[in-house]
Amino acid sequence: MHNIRVFYNKTQRAKYISHLDINRCMQRALKRSGLPVWFTEGFHTHIYVTFALPTPLGFESMYEVMDFRLVEELPMKEVVRRLNEHLPQGIEIWGAGAPVMKPERIKYAEYDLSLTYLDKTGAETGAHLEEFMEQESIIVTKKTKKKVKEIDLKPLVSVLHTEVCGDTLKLTIRTNAGILLNVNPMLFLEAFESRYGLRSDYWKITKKKVLDENLKDFV
Amino acid sequence: MSYHEKLEKILMKAQKPARYIGGELNSVVKDKDEVDIRFGFCFPDLYEVGMSHLGMKILYSLMNEREDIWCERIFSPDRDMEKLMRENGILLYGLESLEPVKDFDMIGFTLQYELSFTTILNMLDLAGLPVESKDRPGLAPIVVAGGPCACNPEPIADFIDLFILGEGEEVNLELIDLYKRAKRENLSKEEFLRQASQIPGIYVPSLYDVSYRDDGTIERLTPLHGAPEKVGKRIIKEIDQVYYPENFVVPFIDVVHDRAMVEVLRGCIRGCRFCQAGFIYRPFREKQAGTINKNAEDLCRTTGYDEISLSSLSTSDLSSLEDLMDQLLSWTDKEKVNLSLPSLRVDNFSESLLEKVTSVRKSGLTFAPEAGTQRLRDVINKNVTEQEIMNTCRMAFEGGYTSVKLYFMLGLPTETDADIKGIIETAQKVIHLYSTLENKPKGKGVKITVSVSSFVPKPFTPFQFEPQDTMEMLREKQKYMVSCNNSRKITLNWHEVKVSFLEGVLARGDRRLGKVIRAAWEKGCVLDGWDEHYQFDAWMKAFEEQDVDPAFYANRRREFDEVLPWDHLDFGVSKAFLIRENKKAHEEVTTPHCRQKCSGCGANKLLGGECFA
Repeated sequence: MHNIRVFYNKTQRAKYISHLDINRCMQRALKRSGLPVWFTEGFHTHIYVTFALPTPLGFESMYEVMDFRLVEELPMKEVVRRLNEHLPQGIEIWGAGAPVMKPERIKYAEYDLSLTYLDKTGAETGAHLEEFMEQESIIVTKKTKKKVKEIDLKPLVSVLHTEVCGDTLKLTIRTNAGILLNVNPMLFLEAFESRYGLRSDYWKITKKKVLDENLKDFV
Repeated sequence: MSYHEKLEKILMKAQKPARYIGGELNSVVKDKDEVDIRFGFCFPDLYEVGMSHLGMKILYSLMNEREDIWCERIFSPDRDMEKLMRENGILLYGLESLEPVKDFDMIGFTLQYELSFTTILNMLDLAGLPVESKDRPGLAPIVVAGGPCACNPEPIADFIDLFILGEGEEVNLELIDLYKRAKRENLSKEEFLRQASQIPGIYVPSLYDVSYRDDGTIERLTPLHGAPEKVGKRIIKEIDQVYYPENFVVPFIDVVHDRAMVEVLRGCIRGCRFCQAGFIYRPFREKQAGTINKNAEDLCRTTGYDEISLSSLSTSDLSSLEDLMDQLLSWTDKEKVNLSLPSLRVDNFSESLLEKVTSVRKSGLTFAPEAGTQRLRDVINKNVTEQEIMNTCRMAFEGGYTSVKLYFMLGLPTETDADIKGIIETAQKVIHLYSTLENKPKGKGVKITVSVSSFVPKPFTPFQFEPQDTMEMLREKQKYMVSCNNSRKITLNWHEVKVSFLEGVLARGDRRLGKVIRAAWEKGCVLDGWDEHYQFDAWMKAFEEQDVDPAFYANRRREFDEVLPWDHLDFGVSKAFLIRENKKAHEEVTTPHCRQKCSGCGANKLLGGECFA
């Protein structure tokens, strides 16, 4: 048995595929590729796949991670080639290898955000953001499956870079991510928008990186 | 701003946005400048329903095989998306190009059920097109429609330019070729429609004038401009050679039927008198096991599906079924692909066949006795005996099944309380059988689900003359049926009669219903097949305002010599045969199936010979 970890992009029309649907989509692609994949045991046997920090519906991503198993050893290049031949447009594998880190190691993720608001220039949005980030604390309510709790986003989100392009503000943020504490950029965005009464014209979010506690790429 | 960008802005506000953006595996994207004809294949229901439909998959691939045609898919948006589209000025678009369908050459609707009629109007309107044919003077786009409900298309004759009758594989391409020429020669829409009416299988409603008698029935129908007196449906004679797609578009989201569907046969030998499909798809033709097996292999390879379903009206009537199962099982097991066989009959479900099915999957089994007593089963010509139902259930239980689903109908012609009680009694006998069985599955109780629909008389069936039970009658019958049941092992499901009533009106309607459909749509009726969207009161108001009595269509007995709205359409079976079968029904006499004895329905003329040579 050989554990394989692949890294892929999920862009364009593929960003509308939900995580549950990506799961099925990947199983079918593996099946079409004819790769000697490992099936789960049990009554309803299926191809084993698992995802580390899947990106929410509507975001593009340049750093998606999927693990599966092969029952024969194959060169990684061939695995990537054969899988890419059978993936729908917008999903492309760019790397593969044996898993190095456990998913528990994931600590941060970085996102590019592109924000356009009605009746606001990019510079105005930028000024709001600056003020927003200067707050002592940014308290938001986070809903989990079981309960609603208040959390402070201030220590969990940092703005790494901003750039004004006409009516649009582009920024890069780093958030805490992972199994224990995961901050969806939408949570940050909603807090920002409600603070200033901003009405969204268009937003685009792209996940750029998944990092460990030392800000090293998750591999 | 490009259309795509406009769309991007609203998509994340809609539920399940993946339904509205295309990009699925095997969807066909072409260069619009490289094709002559852009065809918009519209399914007047939501994506998850439309993407389950086999006919659409076949015709989509068939058209896209041709270099000069680009066929795209279009489904009805759900209500939230419709609102977003209207608010943001987004016209109905094709999922492949994301471009407005109003700029296409031809828009084709598939008519799978009557309750989709208002959705057709809504989609035309969302496309930015006038809903009535007469208000669309240009050659482009031509609005066409086909599918089972095209066998009585009169209620929507105002909205559709032409109907395609029968199987589409050949006639669709003939029509498109004519359209190509019309476009090249700059023909008017009228001229194109006149020429199209000369193609066998094409019905142009505007070329027929209908007059009515004082009692509301049809006096006569007069063809104009050389249109044929009778329009016959088309069939594919050599079904084993017919085009079948090597791949399907594989949806991202979960749709109703998300599997490799392979067609095994067309038509039905059985002649159940309530069943429209059993008559309008005649004559019976079957594919060879090797062909079906290859279709299944191709599809699994190109889609990655892990389930195959054999599609037909009655799969156990395939003469090579056991051979086919052997061929399929020779590779599906190894490839971890499941087989599902819907539409098996209880009377010829053999033990060895059951073994083959159960070797793959053990879920529930479904049988459709349709009526609760032998007398009524004889009336409807469902040639299944109680003994056969019990035998099959016994085999199923011994094979490890513990749940059985039974389908029945209420409101069948000649039905009495004894027949209704018989539904529950049949279910109880199945329970009794289980409890007295020695080698039943250990430690498990039996579960019987009884689903009861309301009978709707349909055109081209022996019951096309029959009155449908009124809603009050059906409600009383449902109440009585529930009172007969005292077993917790039986789960009873039944349908809302308000839906069946409208279905009954539209199914046997005529052109005078056009204004009612339009009025209902203007009142906001759309996606009527969905309980949460169905607005019965709005429909009734539309009937009232347009001064049309729905009971005239649903609850009235037709004389055998009445001119019916679909009499000028020829689906193979003759009216004389349907009258004969109707009389036999009232005499409680059955008709043997086609393999036993030809009943002379008339459909064999489409083959130019006997069905079983």
